[in-house]
Parts: sequence; C-alpha cells; structure tokens
Amino acid sequence: MLAIENLRKRFDTAAEHPLFEGVSLTLAPGQSVAVMGESGVGKSTLLNCIAGLESVDGGRIRLRDQDLTALDEDGFAHLRRRDFGFVFQAFHLLPHLTLAQNVALPLWLLDQDDATADRRARAMLARVGLAARADDWPRHLSGGEMQRVAIARALVHEPALVLCDEPTGNLDPERATGVLGLLFERIQDAGAIAIMVTHSLAAAAHADRTLRLTPTGLVDATVAP
Amino acid sequence: MSSALRHVFLASLWRRRLATTLSLLAIALGVALGLTVQLIHSAALDEFGRGIRLLNGAADLQALGPRDGFSDALYPMLARSPAVDQASPLLEIEARLPDRDETLKLIGIDLFRVGAVTPALLPMGEDPDERAPASGGQLDALRPDALFLSPAASAHLGLGPGDRLRVQVGTREQTLRIAGGVPGAGVGQRLAVMDIAAAQQTFERIGLITRVDLRLAPGVSRATAQAQLGDRLPPGVALLTPEDASSETLGLSRAYRVNLTMLAAIALLTGGFLVFSTQWLAVVRRRQEFAFLRAIGLDRAELRRGLLAEGGVLGLIGGLLGCLLAYLLTALAFALIGGDLGAGFFRGLAPQVQFEPILTLIYLALGVLAGLGGAWLPAREAARMVPARALRAGDEAEVYRARPRWRTALAALALAALCCLPPPIGGVPVFGYLAVALILTGAILSLPGTTAWAMPRLPAGRSTLWRLARARLTAAPGQTVVAGAGVVASVALAVSMAIMVDSFRGSVDDWLTRLLPADLYLRASDASASGYLDAEAVARVAALPGVAAVRPVRFETLRLREIGGETSGEAGHAMALIARQVRADGGLPLVAGTLQPPTGPSVPTPVWISEAAADRLRLGVGDAVTLPLGEQPHGFQVAGIWRDYARQQGSVVIEIADYRALTNDSRTNDLGLTLTPGTAPEPVMAAIRATLGEQQSEMILPGELRTMVLEVFDRTFLVTYLMEAVAILIGLFGIGTTFAALATSRRKELGILRHLGLRRRQVGTLLATEAALSALVGVAIGLLAGGAIALVLIEVVNRQSFRWSMDLQLPIGPLLIFSLAMILLAAIAARLSGAQAMRQDAVLAVREDW
Amino acid sequence: MKHRRRDALQTILAAALCLGLTLLGGAAAKDFAPVLEGHRLAFPEDNGAHPKYRTEWWYITGWLTDAEGHDRGFQVTFFRVGTGLGADNPSRFAPRQLILAHAAIADPATGHLLHAERAERALDPLSGASVGNTHVWIDDWSLSQENGVYQTTIHSASFDLELTLTPPGPPQLNGRDGFSQKTPDPANASDYYSRPQLAVEGGLRLADQDLRVSGQAWLDHEWSSQILPETAQGWDWIGINLNDGGSLMAFRMRHRDGSTLWAGGTLRHGDEEAQILSPDQLHFEPGRRWQSPRTGAVYPVEWVIEIDGRQLTLSPLMDDQELDGRRSTGAVYWEGATRLLEDGQEIGRGYLEMTGYWRRQTGL
Repeated sequence: MLAIENLRKRFDTAAEHPLFEGVSLTLAPGQSVAVMGESGVGKSTLLNCIAGLESVDGGRIRLRDQDLTALDEDGFAHLRRRDFGFVFQAFHLLPHLTLAQNVALPLWLLDQDDATADRRARAMLARVGLAARADDWPRHLSGGEMQRVAIARALVHEPALVLCDEPTGNLDPERATGVLGLLFERIQDAGAIAIMVTHSLAAAAHADRTLRLTPTGLVDATVAP
Repeated sequence: MSSALRHVFLASLWRRRLATTLSLLAIALGVALGLTVQLIHSAALDEFGRGIRLLNGAADLQALGPRDGFSDALYPMLARSPAVDQASPLLEIEARLPDRDETLKLIGIDLFRVGAVTPALLPMGEDPDERAPASGGQLDALRPDALFLSPAASAHLGLGPGDRLRVQVGTREQTLRIAGGVPGAGVGQRLAVMDIAAAQQTFERIGLITRVDLRLAPGVSRATAQAQLGDRLPPGVALLTPEDASSETLGLSRAYRVNLTMLAAIALLTGGFLVFSTQWLAVVRRRQEFAFLRAIGLDRAELRRGLLAEGGVLGLIGGLLGCLLAYLLTALAFALIGGDLGAGFFRGLAPQVQFEPILTLIYLALGVLAGLGGAWLPAREAARMVPARALRAGDEAEVYRARPRWRTALAALALAALCCLPPPIGGVPVFGYLAVALILTGAILSLPGTTAWAMPRLPAGRSTLWRLARARLTAAPGQTVVAGAGVVASVALAVSMAIMVDSFRGSVDDWLTRLLPADLYLRASDASASGYLDAEAVARVAALPGVAAVRPVRFETLRLREIGGETSGEAGHAMALIARQVRADGGLPLVAGTLQPPTGPSVPTPVWISEAAADRLRLGVGDAVTLPLGEQPHGFQVAGIWRDYARQQGSVVIEIADYRALTNDSRTNDLGLTLTPGTAPEPVMAAIRATLGEQQSEMILPGELRTMVLEVFDRTFLVTYLMEAVAILIGLFGIGTTFAALATSRRKELGILRHLGLRRRQVGTLLATEAALSALVGVAIGLLAGGAIALVLIEVVNRQSFRWSMDLQLPIGPLLIFSLAMILLAAIAARLSGAQAMRQDAVLAVREDW
Repeated sequence: MKHRRRDALQTILAAALCLGLTLLGGAAAKDFAPVLEGHRLAFPEDNGAHPKYRTEWWYITGWLTDAEGHDRGFQVTFFRVGTGLGADNPSRFAPRQLILAHAAIADPATGHLLHAERAERALDPLSGASVGNTHVWIDDWSLSQENGVYQTTIHSASFDLELTLTPPGPPQLNGRDGFSQKTPDPANASDYYSRPQLAVEGGLRLADQDLRVSGQAWLDHEWSSQILPETAQGWDWIGINLNDGGSLMAFRMRHRDGSTLWAGGTLRHGDEEAQILSPDQLHFEPGRRWQSPRTGAVYPVEWVIEIDGRQLTLSPLMDDQELDGRRSTGAVYWEGATRLLEDGQEIGRGYLEMTGYWRRQTGL
C-alpha cells in the first residue's frame, strides 16, 4: 500500500510559490496509475519525490506503513534497491554490460551471488521475449528492445513499486503499444504498484486510472476505455 | 555489491585503457624511482654498515684524530687505563696504487690485539692448516712486506697469495707481497690488512696511529670512560662511540639521499595528479550512469567506495609494476654506476641487490595511496551529485564549476613561508620540504580562482572559436583545474630544479675559477691517500725551468672535541684543514671578512672558515677560535668566511707558513704552479714526470679540472635530470589524457557545434585553443610556484642540508622556451586526442541521448 | 674483572697465538746467537732475558695443597721469542720479540686441565721481558723476582693465581755448567738452569672458591737458538722435587720412531753435590698408556725411569693432563703433575711433560 498525503514541492528552496501542493494518492498492490499534465507542471519531479531522489517540502509518503519522508538519503537508497523499480525514457542501460548483466544489476546491489543473479536475470529476459539475446550488448538493440530490457531490469527484483518516467517517449507509437502492454502485464504478474508519468493518452490508457497533475493537486482524468 | 564493484567500477578501468595505462605508468614510474633510490641506498648503506661493523667490531669507544694520525704513545696509555679492558691500535691508510691509479684501504693491525675487538680483520695465511715451520707461512703476518687482501679486494685487484702489489708512499713506491686473505671481511668490503709496525714503516708513519679501538672494562659506561679518558687525550684526538664515528659519513650522505627521495616523492605525486585527472574525467563521463545507479539504490558510500577502488586498483597495479621495475633499475644501476648514485659517498663498496620486504611494501602502499588520493576528490564529487539532476543529460559543466579557493591557497602559501624559518631536524630540512609541498598545494588550489579571474580579462576577440573557448573556460574553470593540476605540478618541479641546478652550477663554476689561480696543478695522490710531495720534491719542481712560483697546499683534518662551547652530537667529527697561501694568492671565494687581515706580532693568527664550519662552530668574522694542530691547542682569529662546495663537513683554511711553523709538517698534497709568461704547460708537465716518475704524480690544468668537476657535478645531478624528465613526461601525459577524455565527455556539446555549422577542423582548433589557454594558466602558475620552490631549495633546503649558499641565477631563455613548448604540446595533445574523439559521427553522438 | 671477558675471546685469540707460537720455528737460527759451551752463567744477570737468543722460557711447575689438604698441580710458563723481524724498524710496534704465556691447573676434582694463555709483541710498558733480572709480563700476567723471591700473577676466566715462590738455595745448573746438549750434535743445545724446591705460598681462585695454598714448585729457565732438529719427533721431560730436599731433572729427545735420540738429566740428593746424568745413565721405559678422548693421541702416563740401575716409577696425579692447544697454539701435549715412586714409596713430586705424541712437536 502506497499512500501519498498532501505532498508539497517548491521550485527550489528560495521560491515562494510551490510547484505543486496538496498531492494525495493511495494505491494498493496491483494497482497502476498514469500521471499526465502540462509540461513543467512537475510530473517527473513528483516521481523523483516519491523515489526520494528529490526532497519534498511538505506532506508524507508511506509505503507499507513506512514513512518514506523520514528516511535519510542512504536509507532511501537502500529502500529503493529493494522495493523500487525504474523505467526511464532514456533507458539508461549500461553500455558495457550485457543484457543479462544489465538486468542483473539490481540483484547485484542486493548482494545476490553472480550465479543466482544471472539465472534470475535470464528468466526475466525470457519473460520480455529477449532470452536469445541475453549475452548481447545494448548497442545492438532497437529502442523497443532496449526498453524491454529496462522493464526486465525494473522488475527482476520483484519491487513493490514501479516508477515509469515517459517509458515510451523515445519509441514510435507501434512499438510503444507493444512495450506498454508488456510492461503492464509484467507489473500485474508481480502484483506491484505502478506509477507512470506520460504525455501520451494512448499510454495512459494502459493504467488502471489516469490522473492529471495540477499545481494544486491530482485530479482524476480517467478516460473510459 | 561485490559483483557491481567488479562489473560496474573496476571493469571501467579496462574500458578506458589508454588513460588507465598512462595512470599506471605514472604511478609505476613514481614508485620505481622512489624505491630504486631507497633500494640502492639501503644496499649501499647495508654494505656500508657491514663495513662499519666489521671495522668497528665490538669496540665500545674509538679514539680518533686527524686523518694522518696521532702519536702512538697514546695507545699504551689507553691500554693500561683501568677503564679499558682491551685496546686495539690501528693505522688506516688509503694506499695509492700507482700503476692502477686508484687507492686501496689498508689497515695496519696489531695481530695480537685486533682479535679481541675486530676479529673480522684477522689475516689468514695462504693455507691455515699448513703449520710446517719450513713453509715460513706463519711468520707472514708479521713480515714487513706481507699484505692480506679481503676477498673483494682480491677479486677487484685480481691478485692472490704470492702476487705483488705496488703502493705509493710520497712520490716513491714500495712493493708488498700478498701473503693471504682476510676471510672475515666478507664479500662486499675492499680492504687490506698488514702488521701495524710494517704499515708504519712502509708508509713512513713511524710513531703514528689513526685509531685505537677500546673495549671497556665490565661495569664502565661509555660516558664514564669518555669523561675519564677525555682529559688525558691531547687536543685534536676525540673519543667517539662507533655510532658517532660512522654517522660522520652517514650524515654527509643523508641529505643527498633525502633529496633524491623527495624528488621521487614528487614524481609519485605527479602520478597521483594524473590519476586525479583521469578519474575526474571518468566521473564526468559516467555521471548519468552514476545517477541511474543511485536511482536504483546504490548509496553514496558505495559509489564512493567503488570509485576509490578504481583508484586503489590503479595504484596497486602501478605500484606492483613500479616495485618490479625498481628492482630491475637497481640491478642496472649497480652494474653501471655503482652504489652511490654517482655522488661518491660510498667508494670501495660492492653492494648487492637485496629484497627489502618492508621498503617494498611501503612503496607499494605509497602507490596505492597515490591511486586512492587521486581518486578521492572525484569520488567525493560523484557522491555529492544530485542524481535527479544528473539523470537529465547535459549537465557536465556542473562538475567544472570549481569554486575559487583563495583562502585555502593563501593559507597554504603563508604556511609555506613560515616553514622556511625553522632549523633542520637531524640534518634533514623537513620544514623546507614541507614548504615545497605547501607551495605546490597552494599553486594548484589557486588554479580555479586564477582561471576565473583571468578568462574574462582576456580580449573578447571576434573569432567565434576564441569566444567559445573563452566562454567555456570562464564558465567551467574546473576544466582548467583538471587539465592543469598535472601541468602546474610538473612545471613547478621542472622549473624549480632548473633554477636550482643552474644556480648551483653557476656558483660552482665561479667558485672553481676563483679557487684555481695557478697555471698547473700537481699532486702525488688524492689528498686522503698515501701519496704526497716532500719538501725536496717541491724544491725540485720549483727549480724546473719555466716554473715561476709554486703554491703548496696541505690537506689535513681536525677534530674539535667541543663545538660552539658545548659538547654536541657532532663534537669530535672531523673537519677539513687546508693550509695554503691566502694573503699572497687570494683565491678564496669569501662571503664575509677579508683576505688581507692586519699582520703584526700581537695580532692573532688568521683562519678563514667555510660556511659549514661557521655554522657548526657558530663563529663569525672576528671571533677567536682554538684549533688543535699537532696535538697542541693554538689560538686563531676568524678573518673571513668562504664558500666551500667540496667539504660538507666544514673546512678551515690557514696560511701554510703558519701551519708549518706550528706543526713542523712540511708535506705538500697539492702544488699549484705559476709558469713564467709564455711557457706552455706541456713541456713543464713532461719535465715534472721526468723528475718525479711517470706514475707517481697526477697533473691537471685548471681548465681540465674545472671541466672534470663540472662533469662530476652533472653526473651527480643526472638522477635529478632524469626525474625532471619523468615529471614533464607525466605532465604531458596528463594533458593528453585529460583532453582526450574531455573531448569524449563533450561529444554531445561538440556535436551540437557541428550541427550549428562548425567544421570538424574548427572543433579541433577550439579544443586546441582551450588546451593552450588552460596550459597557459597552468604554466604561468607553475612558473611562479617553481620560482618560489627554487628559492626554498636554494635558501632553505640546500643551506640546511649541505650548509652552503649559492647565487640565484634564472635561466630565463630555457624557461621561456620550456613554457612555450609546454603550451604548444598541450594544444597539440588536445588537438590529436580531440580528433580521435571526433572520429565518431558527431550527429550520431548528439542523437545518442536526445 | 678485567680478564674474564678477555678469556671468553680465547677462540679469537687462538688464531693470533697460532701465528705467534709457530713463529718459534719460523725464523732462521742464523739470525740469533748460538748457545756455546763454556759460557759461564752469572747471577742475578742471567735471571733476566737473553733477547739475542731465539727462544727463552721461564717454566714453573709444582704442587699446591689447600687448607683442606687437596692436592692440585699448576703450571705457569712465560716464553720470549725472537722473530728475527723488525730489526730495522723504529716503530714501537716492531715485532722483534714476542711474549707468550701459558697457565694451567690440574685439579683431580675437575678431571682435566684448566688452561689459559696470552700472546703479545713485546711493547713497553704493556708487555716485555727485562734483561738483567727476572721480569716477564703480558699486561696483568707477570713473573718477577725481588730479593731472590719469585712472584707470579695470572688472571683468567677459570682461575687466578697469585703466588710467591722462594728458592731455598742457589740455581741448579743443568748439563755441563748450564750448557745442556739436546742431541748428539752439540749445536742443538740450550743454556739451562733450574730452581727446584721452591717454597710456594699464595692464593688460587677457582670458579667459586678462593683458596690459600702452599706447596713446592720448580722453575726452569732455558734459552736457546736451536734445540729440536728435523729428525726429532718430541721429547719427554720430568722435574721432580725429592722428598729428601733434592731434585731430579731428566729428559730424552725421541726419534720419529719413538727411540731415544738423546737424554740427559741432573740428580741431587739432599744437600749432596748434583750428579749430571749422561745419555747412557738414563733409560726411559713407557708404562700404562692413556688415550685422549679429544685428540685420540696416546700418552704413556706411567713410566719407569732407570737411573744407573735404580728403578723409579712415575704415577700421574690424574690421567687427563693433556693440554689441547689445537684451537690456540696448535700444539697438543701432556703436561701434568706426577708422583715419583721407588719400591712403591713416594720419594718426590713434580711434573712430567710429553710432546710429539699427537703430531710432531714443532717450534719449541
């Protein structure tokens, strides 16, 4: 259970007006939500705040009854490696690691031994349809394939929460649909909570609900399928 | 984490192989140079120490006097003292070997006494089991012509039992017979042993010994014995512990050793800078990667540890390579130049390369430390980064903001100034070296501030490239720090050494010119060896046609039991005594006082003391001083202080007429000849050879001597030059790798410039301009820092290490050329490495992250 | 104490001594004055050293009895050796004369000899041998004579000796008025006198006991330039103080095969006139043998000596009185306290010396 209560964030510490405030959201395991909004409204910042990569100026975030806003930077880092999965617009695959190694990276951080990590990473790659390319290098992949690897990496350690920042921003619409389908299938398999920031209505449609971020909070913008 | 460490961090070293190789090389070179210096010296010192222990044996105290010895009547007196259990008299002679033009350390021993103190010196007949009286073998040890060679001397001279060896005494020769060996001397010591009576007779030293080794009676402390016996010793003879006696030589070589070690340390430091540069750039390039890793849960400490591990591994591998290299270099050095690195402190030793576990570990640790140190700031910077911001592309300029650190820089420089004030610690100018390190630190710290200050003040110019370069450096002065730290360090080192060596060389040259007023110099042997000219030989030379005048010089040593009114640790250490004409000839390079003191019956006899002697005796011009001559105290007055580069231990000059009147010693070591106008030296030299014998004299023209001395000087500083070259090389490596990495990390930025219409060549020019500007700032600061370091080296380090002064000389031309070359090389290095980086399609590079 | 550390260095000194002692044979006899018959010994002058001759010794042997009645043998010897070297050398270290000294204690409680030695070149005032009166010294070892009474001082790690030795009468000249022929060739001869029946008083320090001792001793003073010819293997010698106040000195030089090369002696009973023994009056018959566990040398430690038909028997204080100088002088010989018996009755006590049983005795 993720509960965001009355979150508030200023542009920077000196600014008077908040970027957004009054952001509240509650998500149960298996639920997903898409966050939309105008450029510059702070969608990515919201994700960063939830992930602890940026500090908040008010409000609380709770995951499974743990108050995340009370964590220090390193405490958050340790929480992230266990409970968070990330899918970025820019993929962020490490070019010098094979696909299997890229996927194994979160497991390494959890101190799993090489063999176990490799086995699990390959299993995960199989579930995104890239089993045959496990030992290939990222530079040989298409954008869609890269994002599938990133999805595998985000889910390999069975996180409680998956944060996706414009996951299809670098993909053409056809590929985007395929990748998103895969992403949400896998998230549902895992029973994870998912928050996706996106510009695309089509993308948003993959989530259970769609919310719009405004400076004063989140408003429901779910489009009936 | 360990898998991540391996795959994410350490593997990255392999990916940037060129930079890694250069960093490794730099560290390896620094470690190798430092360890080599230490290994050579530790082996030489080991052998020297073994020699000392061998020659001192179990002595508790040693009575030592002037080089030519003291009355042997002292020996029975000491032997019969109740404080003394055993006394062993020795007569040490550097015997000149006329047909080999070298000397051999020869020790006259009392066979019946030496065993109790220095058993290693016991001679052994040809065949120790052969006891038949008919062989006469056992008589040999006492026979007047019997000489026993240590294994090293035997091997070096290629002589064995039954062979003959010619030795020079004065200008005459004596032939000695090799009667056996000195097996106890070990393989590293070249020496010979003969009966003390025979040595006295052969070398015309009847009544003289140079040393009495004492073993004290049980329960008598050294201090007690020194106090009891000291008063009964004549002036000029001192009772020293063997440690004191050996520290004379060790003390002299220590400053030289420390100097070389410091140079090696600076080479290692430069290696550290290179690691810093490459790591910093690696951090910049992997900024997004680190941000991503942080996002998925890597904490700051882990990131820092990962990056430090990269530096540590570089240091470890570089250190291992360096250690390996050091042992190879040491073996090579022993094979080529011997154990004293060309400085001549440890003649007659044949040291062996030995594995030194502790030294090796220390230098390995220093290598690792250089790697860690270089990686420290980049790692800290990486851990400090805000991942959310870094996750977005294009913020590398962030890294190069570099705050000016004027306050820290100024504090370092002020501290450096303060460090020039305290005296040396144990003869080593610790604070001087600290000042050098502080100046270097201050210079590097002032880099960002200087860049930020200087760039806006550069003329704006019309050229787009110039404006771009200027804008870039103004906005990101940190880039200059990264590229320039190595430049500052290497330029400062090179410049300071250049100024110091140039000043030193110039001063030595001037000193030689003034010290050698005669037309031709003649000697029977080196002053410490067994050759000399007697009055009759001098008269014969003076009577030769073409010789207008002769100036005899006599070299001896003095031992002052008290120094500066107190008995210090150095009391009793030998000081050089030079008896020569002063008033008539001048020729002393004075720094204070006069060469023409007033004469008269009530005026005390004048002496001129060297700077080192003035320091040690705490004397100034006009002070009275008592010196022991011929075992009698005599009063003198300091008439002047002169500069002496030849005798670190200090020297005292007196008029030869005064010396002869006080001592009745009429021997001459060096004879300066003034030739009648128009006389060429060659026929005179031929006439002298005909008079004194072909091999019994050495002659040299002042010009040749000057050349020879300067050659020795240059050879001594060869190691210094080598290190300088290494430092410059490392600095250039630094610039090359820095700009290669910069170009790579700025591929996107440069790609945009290509998009905006810049040609590939223009991008190259931009990089070259930036590099030249960075290097300009680095070189300028390096020049200033180098000048300051040179001053510290001349006024503090040299003054305290060697106790001599020198006149500052600035080799402006070479420095200018060197600076321009550095800037040009930086531009070329950046251009080349930039071209390499630009080889990939710029458009592609832009798209990569867009 | 001064000497203790020094003696710890014996092994080191050994090499020096080895060179020193074997020197005795080194210098050619022609460098020295020959001993000629007819030279009259004069006293006290001849008590002193005779540096013109190659070799000279003052050899004291005797028996000491402590307060508890324990008997021990002792030996103190000073040698002066001319080297023939350094005559032209004005150095104070010129090795013209060497002074060597030995001392030993034979204590049945120990079972073997306690032994110490010194060697030096004569170098006044550290060591020397005076001419004209008895004074030989090396450092703190000395033998001197004052008003006819001898005094000797020995310091070593294992024992100290401090003795006065008082002669009861004038010197006993051996051979023909002091001319003692050693072989059939009169060129091998020495000037030789003895001081038997010396009354000894003094102190003996052993490891942990300081003893007052008294007893009888024997002093030989002998100098020569040539004693032992190439053909000789060694010699046997006795010096016995007879219980009747008389004395017996007898020696024989042996061929390499063990047979007698030459013999001689001096026998005096009580206050009677001394009898000079010629080679044919003396017969040495070796008895019980003892083998040294150290050197393997076999010594006849018991003897029957026939003097003009009288059968005298020698019986040692203890068997092991071998002096093993292999690590010092290089010489190995037997030198020990001995009783002289006739018909099973002890008639005197003294010393037996046997050389050349290990290897040929060189030098002396």
